[in-house]
Amino acid sequence: MHETALMQNMLAIVDKVIEGQQVKKVNSITLSVGKLSNALPDALTFAFEALTADTPLKGCKLILKELPAVAVCEACGADTILNDFPFSCPKCGGKFYTIVQGEDIYIESIDCELE
Amino acid sequence: MAEIKVQKDVKSLNKEIAEKNRAEFKKHNIFVMNIMGSPGSGKTTLLENILPVLAKSYRTAVIEGDLATQNDAERIRKTGVEAFQINTNGGCHLNAKQIEAEYAKIDPDHTDLIIIENVGNLVCPIEWDLGEDLRVVLLSAPEGEDKPLKYPPAMLKTDAVVITKADIASFADVNIEQMKKNILSVNPKAVVLEAGKVNGVYSAESVIDYIKEKIKAKKAE
Ligand SMILES: Nc1nc2c(ncn2[C@@H]2O[C@H](COP(=O)(O)OP(=O)(O)OP(=O)(O)O)[C@@H](O)[C@H]2O)c(=O)[nH]1
Ligand SMILES: [Mg+2]
Ligand SMILES: [Zn+2]
Repeated sequence: MHETALMQNMLAIVDKVIEGQQVKKVNSITLSVGKLSNALPDALTFAFEALTADTPLKGCKLILKELPAVAVCEACGADTILNDFPFSCPKCGGKFYTIVQGEDIYIESIDCELE
Repeated sequence: MAEIKVQKDVKSLNKEIAEKNRAEFKKHNIFVMNIMGSPGSGKTTLLENILPVLAKSYRTAVIEGDLATQNDAERIRKTGVEAFQINTNGGCHLNAKQIEAEYAKIDPDHTDLIIIENVGNLVCPIEWDLGEDLRVVLLSAPEGEDKPLKYPPAMLKTDAVVITKADIASFADVNIEQMKKNILSVNPKAVVLEAGKVNGVYSAESVIDYIKEKIKAKKAE
């Protein structure tokens, strides 16, 4: 539901990044979307298209890569892809863990044509 | 063609303001708590019941977030506590900038505790850091015991989960013990508490104690 806000925030960052860089056209923006980021890829794409429709970014592609959630066992330090719950460390059976990847959405790169 | 590497969190602009808020709260010794949960999970009712007790120990202000109406701020004001209403006009969550703007209306030198009631929603508010010290998610029993498993980020990105409306769990065929197990199966570190009516009388002792303990811990830092 908050995908529009996410895309507005992303576009503000993209604007800042390309500002003063002699960018003629932005071809694509690549995002890594964490498995536990609470964002739906389809809704991100929909919001992105709606927000860029009447802007210089019209036609720019949004490339979404899914980023798995990674948990680190607090007992032994092993890292595991976190697919479901409850967590149980495959190495030591520990049940306490810290998530080190997959909670957020990152702008990876901006593909553009320069002047 | 050129590829510009960015590697930046999409919410980094919000995060920057949240950190600014956090530093400001710390500077003025203000403890800030963010209450989240589905629409109708009992957030305002919990506040109505804990504020009279908390306000005796702490100079308290409440920030209310809703899509529309002043209803919740008015309910809070009836307890004698100052309340500020944000209307998001369709926005499904509060962001750090909105909190920065409301905070400007609060006298920081005469405030110990700010409680934020977020927009009713079990998904979006969780993702937006406001600069708070403590996050509490409410889960009302009638929502169903499987909700922790269906909304893992809400269980993971919080300090505590408060189960409300246990008094009507049986009408909804909900098993509170299973609900607790499900919360802990997603987040074994979550503090699980209960608040709500017991024999017709609202009780939230454990929540009040928990908040007081957390305030004390921050002061001791
Ligand atoms: N039986 C029972 N009803 C409760 C309890 N807690 C809250 N309620 C009722 O649940 C309804 C919704 O409560 P609110 O406190 O307005 O919920 P909220 O989470 O603030 O709702 P929004 O701000 O609109 O998202 C009200 O009619 C309350 O009286 C409880 O412990 N037991
Ligand atoms: Mg409310
Ligand atoms: Zn382990």
